[in-house]
Amino acid sequence: MALRAVLLRQLRVPVQTLALAGCKSQPWSFSSCIRLMSSHDDHLSKEQVIGRVLDVVKSFPKVDPSRVTPDVHFQKDLGLDSLDNVEIIMAIEEEFKLEIPDKEAVKIDSCNLAIEYVYNHPMAA
Amino acid sequence: MASLSAISRAEILSLYRSLLRTARQFCDYNIREYTKRRIIDAFCENRNLSDPSTISAAFSDGKAQLEVAKRQATVYSLYAPKIKSVMETNSFSSVSN
Repeated sequence: MALRAVLLRQLRVPVQTLALAGCKSQPWSFSSCIRLMSSHDDHLSKEQVIGRVLDVVKSFPKVDPSRVTPDVHFQKDLGLDSLDNVEIIMAIEEEFKLEIPDKEAVKIDSCNLAIEYVYNHPMAA
Repeated sequence: MASLSAISRAEILSLYRSLLRTARQFCDYNIREYTKRRIIDAFCENRNLSDPSTISAAFSDGKAQLEVAKRQATVYSLYAPKIKSVMETNSFSSVSN
C-alpha cells in the first residue's frame, strides 16, 4: 500500500506540472484524463459567453441596457435596424477575437443566436 | 434601407461590413475611430433613400471610399507609430512610459 502510494505520488507530480503548462497530450493522466484529452479545455463557459455578449449589447449606445436579456431580438425588441445589427456583430467579433463570415453574420439577429454562435465557435477567446 | 432597388439590401450591408472591417485595420487610434464614426454616420444619413439612381450613386461612392480606406490602411501600417495612443492602454496598466 505504501509502495503504491509512493508510486502514485510519483506519477501524479508530472501530470500536475504538465497540466499547469497547458499540455494536452498526456496519455497517463488517469486522474484527470477526460478533461486533459479534450480540446475544449480553454473553451469559454456558457455563463462567461452570455455575460460578455450581454455586456457588448448593453454598451451599444442606441440600446437601453435595462431591456437586454439573453432572449432579446435586436430588431424586434430593441428597436434597432439592420445597420445596428451589423455593428453589434462587429463589436462581438472584436470582443471574442473572431472573424464571422458574412453568410453567418446575416443570420445572427438576436442575443440567443449570438451566444450560441460564440459558444460553438472553437476559436472564441 | 427600407426600399429594395437594383442594389439589394444584402449588398449594402456587405459593403457596410467591409468598410467597418477595413476601418479596424488602421494602426492609429484616432483615424480608426474617425473612420468608424464616419461610416456609421454616412450610412445612417442615407438610410431612407428611395430613388434608385441616388441609391446607386451612394453605393458606388461607398465602394470608392472602401478602396481608398484599404489603400490607406496598408500605407499607414508601413509607418505604424511605435507608441500606442493613451486611449488604447487598458485601465490600470503601467504608469511608466
